[in-house]
Amino acid sequence: MIAFWVLAPVMVVAAVAMVMARKAVHCALLLAVIMISLAVLYAVQNAPFLFAVQIIVYTGAVLMLFLFVLMLVGVDSSDSLVETLRGQRVAAVVLGLLFGLLVVVALSQATLGTVVGLSAASEQADGNVKGIAALLFSTYVFAFEVTSALLITAALGAMVLAHRERLTPKPTQREMVAQRMRDYATSGVHPGALPNPGSFARHNSVDTPALLPDGTPSELSISRVMRARGTVRDVSRDRLTERGIETETRQIEEGER
Amino acid sequence: MTAHTSTLASRLAAEAFNKPDIDYGKLSPLLIVFGVALVGVLVEAFAPRDRRYVIQTAVSIVGLAAALAAVVVVGLNVQSNHGGASLGSVEAMGAIAVDGPSLFIWGTVLIFSLMSVLLFAERQLEGGITAFAGQAAALPGTEAEREASSRGIEHTEVFPLMLFAIGGMMLFASANDLLTMFVALEVLSLPLYLLCGLARRRRLISQEAALKYFLLGAFSSAFFLYGIALVYGYAGSFRLGDIDTAVSSTVGGNGLLLAGMALMAVGLLFKVSAAPFHAWTPDVYQGAPTAVTAFMAACTKVAAFGALLRVFYVALGGVRWDWQPMMWVIAALTMAIGSIVAITQTDIKRMLAYSSVAHAGFLITGFVGAQQGIEVAGQQISSLQAVMFYLVAYGFTTIGAFAVVTVVRDAGGETTHLSRWAGLGKEAPVVAGVFAFFLLAFAGIPLTSGFTGKWAVFTSAWAGGAWPLVVVAVLMSVVAAFFYVRVIVVMFFSDPVGDGPTVAVPSILTTITITVGAAMTLLLGVVPQPVFDLARAAGEFIR
Amino acid sequence: MSATPFLILSALLFGVGAVGVLVRRNAIVVFMCVELMLNAANLAFVTFSRQHGNFDGQIAAFFVMVVAAAEVVVGLAIIMTIFRTRRSASVDDASLLKY
Repeated sequence: MIAFWVLAPVMVVAAVAMVMARKAVHCALLLAVIMISLAVLYAVQNAPFLFAVQIIVYTGAVLMLFLFVLMLVGVDSSDSLVETLRGQRVAAVVLGLLFGLLVVVALSQATLGTVVGLSAASEQADGNVKGIAALLFSTYVFAFEVTSALLITAALGAMVLAHRERLTPKPTQREMVAQRMRDYATSGVHPGALPNPGSFARHNSVDTPALLPDGTPSELSISRVMRARGTVRDVSRDRLTERGIETETRQIEEGER
Repeated sequence: MTAHTSTLASRLAAEAFNKPDIDYGKLSPLLIVFGVALVGVLVEAFAPRDRRYVIQTAVSIVGLAAALAAVVVVGLNVQSNHGGASLGSVEAMGAIAVDGPSLFIWGTVLIFSLMSVLLFAERQLEGGITAFAGQAAALPGTEAEREASSRGIEHTEVFPLMLFAIGGMMLFASANDLLTMFVALEVLSLPLYLLCGLARRRRLISQEAALKYFLLGAFSSAFFLYGIALVYGYAGSFRLGDIDTAVSSTVGGNGLLLAGMALMAVGLLFKVSAAPFHAWTPDVYQGAPTAVTAFMAACTKVAAFGALLRVFYVALGGVRWDWQPMMWVIAALTMAIGSIVAITQTDIKRMLAYSSVAHAGFLITGFVGAQQGIEVAGQQISSLQAVMFYLVAYGFTTIGAFAVVTVVRDAGGETTHLSRWAGLGKEAPVVAGVFAFFLLAFAGIPLTSGFTGKWAVFTSAWAGGAWPLVVVAVLMSVVAAFFYVRVIVVMFFSDPVGDGPTVAVPSILTTITITVGAAMTLLLGVVPQPVFDLARAAGEFIR
Repeated sequence: MSATPFLILSALLFGVGAVGVLVRRNAIVVFMCVELMLNAANLAFVTFSRQHGNFDGQIAAFFVMVVAAAEVVVGLAIIMTIFRTRRSASVDDASLLKY
């Protein structure tokens, strides 16, 4: 009783906050609050088995899967709250309120009668878990077996949509070495490692090309992406002499770049 | 000592657990389908890649044929109850009703599935490869995707997924308690969500269709579930028979029951794509691979109507006066939206989707009449039988029509824009003629199955007192006929734009599907009596 | 304790979840709202189970959890596929299919 009146406001507030929260991660955490509170409400209502399953399956597995996907998608992908269809949000809220009103009226009108309670049923079945088991493996055994089809479908679906099969065998290290040597022989590509950015240059950030012994920058030391974007730092000797080393140093200290 | 006695007591209680009594013979069609799906998964795991396609196709076809044979065997040995009012029995501890309508729907779903499997297995149209994505995990337009496609990789997982969906559909239509029905709803939906996203061409649209179908499907099944919860709160049981008892033992509607009924209707009407819950239909039908669309359009509709009728006739028959007005409105709205919005469509698949919405409206018209078998005099047919006949007629036509869509192609794959179909009649008179025939059947022109189907549902609705609805339905049939005829005119009387469409020569698989579809459409229009007799023999739902 | 407060709580949660599905744009959040609706239904099942004094409602809640677990796997797989192609999980960006 106390549990209900303590948890019910928390759950409703969490649910409303979940609908309004901007960040998906906040939504997931608020949903966790609701789910754990629900587990307590199950325990209060003579459902100890469901209390455990709710924590283990719902909060532990389902919600963690949500969080996992959110992390993959990017935690900072916040939802835009701009309305794309005008009036849609108001309409949705009005519909929701109407629906809530309808169900509340239906529930209060309904003559539910006295609560039978589960103590008799538990007594007869020798406990909640055994009672559920007896029902699950007799009356609902077919539905229970059919859920296996559901789980297999889920596994198969995840495999189909997410697993990319390797179509070519992965080259071994020996094959890679042989390939490099072959490239060197045919087209003269240097077989060794590429120069690191910043080698022999003035600093070692990734956008600073390595300087070759003659002082010219080596294009190879910079990532292809940065070259394409044109964000490579210009370190040619001409520029250094033109602007003076001091200016460059001061710029770096002031953090201009 | 006390501890000892208590363990003894618990052991005795454990022994008192009544072992479930399941007649595997009567459930064999279901068990075969699920078993074959599992075999398919094992094939996927252990068979070498280049043999999988052949093995999967063979396993699926043989399995579905075996299940169909099992349906026939079960149907021949079915027992009759209450002096022939209904056939069959409730099996699997009361979870599944193996009665006449169940068997009829099982047979129908299996026949349509066999036709769909042939479309799934079609390889000639894409140049020796199925119409499903080579590597669904490879991003569209990337090197990996091109490599998978140039190596001729294909996802043969679609066959077991489809079999799971078929098993779910069969269970959905025959579930005798709401809990089993909910599980079956999910078993049939999840594979369909996945299949929608696996097109080889236009993958973005296909993935988008999967996302939309999934989100809206999950939303509607949540409504269905809450409805079940309220009905359970009212009746204290999930059994349809117990709910019926509870309904008839109390006088007047109860808030819980009415709210629960409305919410369950939302979930079921979503699956049959009735307005205002039809919004997903055009998007998903257009985006999904056409073979999947054909499968969904025919089989899902059959199964969902089976479940809808079972819930509303068996469990909620006692409060018919409460749900009939709601269904009147929905039937009229569905027919109107389906027929009128279809006129503006420029995409063939989208147009067929709206036509499917309109047909859902005609089917609900038949269902609203709610003529029970007992009230029917002489040679008349009951609403259930009329709806079952209509489903058979509609299914053959719709699979045939979508199969024709798969063969009309250009360089980018299937060409579904209406303007590209101009002049098809000159290019390929046979294909255009067959498609025109299917459209005429959709419109309900005499000598096609569409006419006999419409006649059946309209007469049963009229006899049930729903004559204003029948008037609306006839009007809407006329509106619908307009856009079907428009397509025929475009195909035969306008000149092709640019290169014009080409009709690829399909392999024997698609040819069989189109031929069977067309033949049955004609046959059911000319000699519908055998199927009517079969529907009548199926009798009413068991209670 | 009477069952009505529990049921009203469950109806409230269900309604809030439904509004969330309609209002939110991020597919993952939309799906979370669906989960909230399923949880609300579960609360109703458990409450009615106590009301009627049989275990059927609790069994139903158990089945819903199993179904939800499978549904989440399929749903998140589909959302991930879309996300990887478009770098966005917003349902507004999924707009190739229109009238």
